[in-house]
Amino acid sequence: MNFQTKLLAGLIAASSLAGGAALATGSGLKAEPLPQHKVPVSKEGNLVVGLCDGVTSMEVEGVKDGQSMTRDQAQAVSTALMAEWRRKNPDANWDDVPPPAKAVAQAGKPKAPGTPPAAVDATQQKPSAGGAVKNAGQSAASGASEVAAQKDANLQTGHTYGAFSERDEKIWADSTQAFVDEGHRVFHDAAALGGTIAVSCDMCHPDAANTHPETYPKYQVQLGRVAMLRDMINWCIQNPVRGKPLGDDDPKMKAMEAYIYARRKGVPLEFGKH
Amino acid sequence: MMGSRATTAWMVGALLYAGAVQAQSSAPAAPPKLPPGVSAALWKLSVPPGAEPTPEKVALGEKLFLDPRLSADNTVSCSTCHEPAQGFVDGKALSTGIKGQQVTRNSPTVLNALFNASQFWDGRAGTLEDQAKLPILNPREMGMPSPEAVVTKVQAIPEYATAFKAVFGRDVNYDDLAAAIAAFERTQFSGNARFDAFITGDSKALNASEKRGWALFNGKARCNSCHAANIVSPLFSDQKFHNIGIAAHKQDFVQLARKAVGVVRLGDEKQIDELALQTEFSELGRFLVTKKENDIGTFKTPTLRNVGITGPYMHDGSLTTLWDVMDHYNKGGVPNPYLDGGMQRLGLTEPEIDDMVAFLFSLTDARYAKFNGQELARQQKRKGTRPERDTAVALGKKGNLGDLAPNPDLAVKNPAAVGVYGAETSVPGAAK
Repeated sequence: MNFQTKLLAGLIAASSLAGGAALATGSGLKAEPLPQHKVPVSKEGNLVVGLCDGVTSMEVEGVKDGQSMTRDQAQAVSTALMAEWRRKNPDANWDDVPPPAKAVAQAGKPKAPGTPPAAVDATQQKPSAGGAVKNAGQSAASGASEVAAQKDANLQTGHTYGAFSERDEKIWADSTQAFVDEGHRVFHDAAALGGTIAVSCDMCHPDAANTHPETYPKYQVQLGRVAMLRDMINWCIQNPVRGKPLGDDDPKMKAMEAYIYARRKGVPLEFGKH
Repeated sequence: MMGSRATTAWMVGALLYAGAVQAQSSAPAAPPKLPPGVSAALWKLSVPPGAEPTPEKVALGEKLFLDPRLSADNTVSCSTCHEPAQGFVDGKALSTGIKGQQVTRNSPTVLNALFNASQFWDGRAGTLEDQAKLPILNPREMGMPSPEAVVTKVQAIPEYATAFKAVFGRDVNYDDLAAAIAAFERTQFSGNARFDAFITGDSKALNASEKRGWALFNGKARCNSCHAANIVSPLFSDQKFHNIGIAAHKQDFVQLARKAVGVVRLGDEKQIDELALQTEFSELGRFLVTKKENDIGTFKTPTLRNVGITGPYMHDGSLTTLWDVMDHYNKGGVPNPYLDGGMQRLGLTEPEIDDMVAFLFSLTDARYAKFNGQELARQQKRKGTRPERDTAVALGKKGNLGDLAPNPDLAVKNPAAVGVYGAETSVPGAAK
């Protein structure tokens, strides 16, 4: 390669870089690399687990770096890390318990991984929002004033849109709930998250407690910027969970968002709140 | 098909309490072992409590389903038009009843019919039981004069007299006969297609053409606006009624509709029912059931499961191949004043139509794999003969139908990846 071709290649590289940058700033927002949580290295070569705050970490004795813990070990480490965070932040607001609207549905022992959550109900929302299906009648939103009583539930009034029966609404509710259940599975399963040290989301957020999906987008200190819920999920996957971040449109990411939102049904939307 | 689900207790119970057991069983029975493309949630929603198929009822129902003695002249059985080996259809455009009489409808498949929100092309029956009763009495189909005549005839056949006694604990009656046939039909679910393997994680189950077809299905070809499916309702049908203009192919549809509306406005609903039986009025579809102007010329969205082997297509069997079907939709259907507002030309190119059809053939159950291959080959041979094709209209070179949407760039966004179809593990009520 002579000087001229080097120059040419350099120019092309520079212009493609500029092009890439222009693309990224097309909306006026820059995509910069995220800050990393660098956990300290253990002198004995033990595994060091970081907390989602990007600061706190803990050495796990008896487990070498690169090895995976058992689920029980991972839960113990997660609990200890959370306790440490609370010791450091005694005044921080951390919701252990589900909000009142959920208290009935979520009462009882924490569920074993893989068991689906009880269907969220007890609010007067549309079944398509993942709640219980109403027993009778029709809502204004289901349209079709003449979609008939049970006997003629399959009677269609308009020839296309708005003529939805209770059967349709049941199917919609089940479809949404299926999505939530899948999110529950991923949330509770380190392997499904792609985690390498057996930590899963539920270990710090039992029943998705303290995830506050209704407050996003908001400024996240760990990220040094405003983030969407999925950005925060990915931060947790990369740091405490030690997995690879999921794509924004990964079905697992979508399902987890569905699950986390479902646990906060009925809570007012308050984006940006801390 | 059913496995050995029903317990001995059930059988004893059935014998002791006879029909009363049916009414008593309030707790819905667990669905049988279902293939991946059949949803337990939909099964529970679709099988009324008390109507769960039991091996005894299913065996009796299958016998009745195949028996031409249910017809007036012992020539036509349910299976004449719904032949199990042929995907439960007869392969004809219009079905034939007793004495060679042609009926006005194409026989829909029994496969997955248990999941339909309503039965018949115009949804005039709510349940499989109601459905089973009508063709036996239809003068053009099985031609029996009355339910009593059917009961008398069946009761006189010793094997049935014994069988009904054993299964229902009483003499033959028309309701029990329909219940047995319906029980058999409730075992005819199908959800073991290559598509199901694909959607549950085997990305190699579909080839490149079929995958492009799936993207088109959800995107440019707009199929999923009526043929919607997901893991909870994997039927590829919204179970609604749409006027897509098929009935406007053959007759002066506007004239026909005007006459029918006139009759109904005069308050003579009985006359329209009679007219529907004998004349082209049956082409008015759902209107004959609801008598509502909005329903003129609408027919039920059929399931696309097994569509490759259940042609010819549409309520009148007027489209021979899936290429013809795609041609029909590609030009936006046949215009008429009652055409569904969702119908518009699609602008699919010839290779895109091939991809669409390839995808549709991937929805056939594995047990019909060989037949599916034969059907694909047969339809492919007819690709040159396509009366519905109007490329100029489809691509917007003729007529004034507005701009087509731009072609999606699959590298940027695959319409099939919008939202979620769902995962097998997440079906409510499915065994984890």
